[in-house]
Amino acid sequence: MAYADLREFLETLDRNGQLLTYSEPVNPEPDLGAAARATANLTDRGPALLFDNINGYEPGKGRVALNVVGSWPNHALMLGLDKDTSVKDQFFEFAGRWDAFPGPVERRDDAPWQEVTITEGIDLFHLLPLFRLNRYDVGCYIDKAAVISRDPDDPDDFGKQNVGIYRIQVKDKDRLGIQPLAAHDLGLHLQRAEERGENLPIAIALGNEPAITTVAGMPLAYDQSEYEMAAAIQGAPYRITKAPLTGLDVPWGSEVVIEGEIIAGEREIEGPFGEFTGHYSGARRQPVVRVHRVTHRRNPIFEHLYLGMPWTEMDYTLALNTSVPLYRQLKAEFPEVAAVNAMYTQGLLGIISVKQRFGGFAKAVGMRAMTVPHGLAYCKVIIMVDEDVDPFNLAQVMWALSVHYHPLHDTVTIPNLSILALDPSSDPAGITHKVILDATTPVAPEERGHYSQVVGDPEGTADWENIIKGLLK
Amino acid sequence: MTDTTVNSTICPRCGAENVRVLTTSPVPGRWTMYVCDTCIYSWRSTEPRSATDPLTYPAEFKIDPAEIPSIPAIPTVPPRRR
Repeated sequence: MAYADLREFLETLDRNGQLLTYSEPVNPEPDLGAAARATANLTDRGPALLFDNINGYEPGKGRVALNVVGSWPNHALMLGLDKDTSVKDQFFEFAGRWDAFPGPVERRDDAPWQEVTITEGIDLFHLLPLFRLNRYDVGCYIDKAAVISRDPDDPDDFGKQNVGIYRIQVKDKDRLGIQPLAAHDLGLHLQRAEERGENLPIAIALGNEPAITTVAGMPLAYDQSEYEMAAAIQGAPYRITKAPLTGLDVPWGSEVVIEGEIIAGEREIEGPFGEFTGHYSGARRQPVVRVHRVTHRRNPIFEHLYLGMPWTEMDYTLALNTSVPLYRQLKAEFPEVAAVNAMYTQGLLGIISVKQRFGGFAKAVGMRAMTVPHGLAYCKVIIMVDEDVDPFNLAQVMWALSVHYHPLHDTVTIPNLSILALDPSSDPAGITHKVILDATTPVAPEERGHYSQVVGDPEGTADWENIIKGLLK
Repeated sequence: MTDTTVNSTICPRCGAENVRVLTTSPVPGRWTMYVCDTCIYSWRSTEPRSATDPLTYPAEFKIDPAEIPSIPAIPTVPPRRR
């Protein structure tokens, strides 16, 4: 299932009762951030929110979409599945579609965002209803846009062209702060540009159909194209169009394309910003973007993402695009891995189900998780469970921890490993101990405990599940 | 409507008197946004006082302008290739 653009996806959400349009007058602050926070607080099946009457903007013109993939039904619809699809089934569907990578791209030159061009007197605050998300953010941010850049040492390599999501502080009408960490692909592009003494051209594509947004947040290999992965995930060619100033490939369906350059050698105070760890980030001196050209649809929709104390839309959008790469990387070496749930604070905590080959095997798989690319900055707490425990069912995981885990035998602590610096427990920032809690059933030669008499389901339980499901519909 | 009593001269966050109008609302007269050119904090005239007033802006989020140049640069600027 492929959506042409954000608008088509919003229509699909609406048809499924998963879009709430709010046309009463609201203030940018604190109403918009509070409404998104409230939706996340209330339910994990919540709607997307569309505000079209925002103080300071003509009614119907300044529009903000929030929480677009901020629930499991919306995530299922993003994948083109029935909105009631279980998280575990969404996981296996997502993992299966990866096999189609690399999918084809479709180059078009008739993008809807070509309607209006601004090169003089750019004011992003007039174009988009920008607002402060959390109370002590330093200002207004763009936090759900696809940022596109190329490797200055290899500008013709399509695979090395990167599409990623980075937090962007709107510092002035046409001046931005951006956070390309050294480990990110954008950070590598910037490093090479600065070594060459050149500014780095970038395009910021805002308001997209959800497949590219999902893929842009995935830990892919450096030379893997996000567009070719989006094609695989959506099961159809991915449409791209050249941005007029930079020549970068951007999504055909975007609402707004902002083009500019990261200024070589310049660092300026940025932050704080309320982050996905549930804590503010503090301030750092970070790179600066000068905006040169904006191309956009008439009356564009500003799609924005609320983040802060989990769970928020950030957690839904990153849940499976984090879990699936970990699963694929572990399974390549250990086919016994059954599923991976790394959706807690972007995989700072993960749960892995595995069929133990021999005693101690699960602990080894847990350690391997800490050394895959994503694990280098995450996977601080890994819980190992048996292959018949569903890692997406926390009731089952807690059961396994409560009866299989033995504190003396099943705790592995590994000191002084790397972690993302945003983890507020890391000390110094970026360094932490990590732990494996092994809640699998001991197998030979590790024979301990009393696990031979498990209470199984009564005969016919599976049939009755179907009968009762049918009666409930 | 814009609250004309809103602070427009002193940065609520760093206390610098280096504030200018960033922009005004597309529908005239609804709000004004200000920015501090020392610490790049910005606020809107319609926001709650906790965001606009130096007296109510919380101490743990304040910053001393003298400390800004020594804040770590992330990422660091690499040396030029020869």
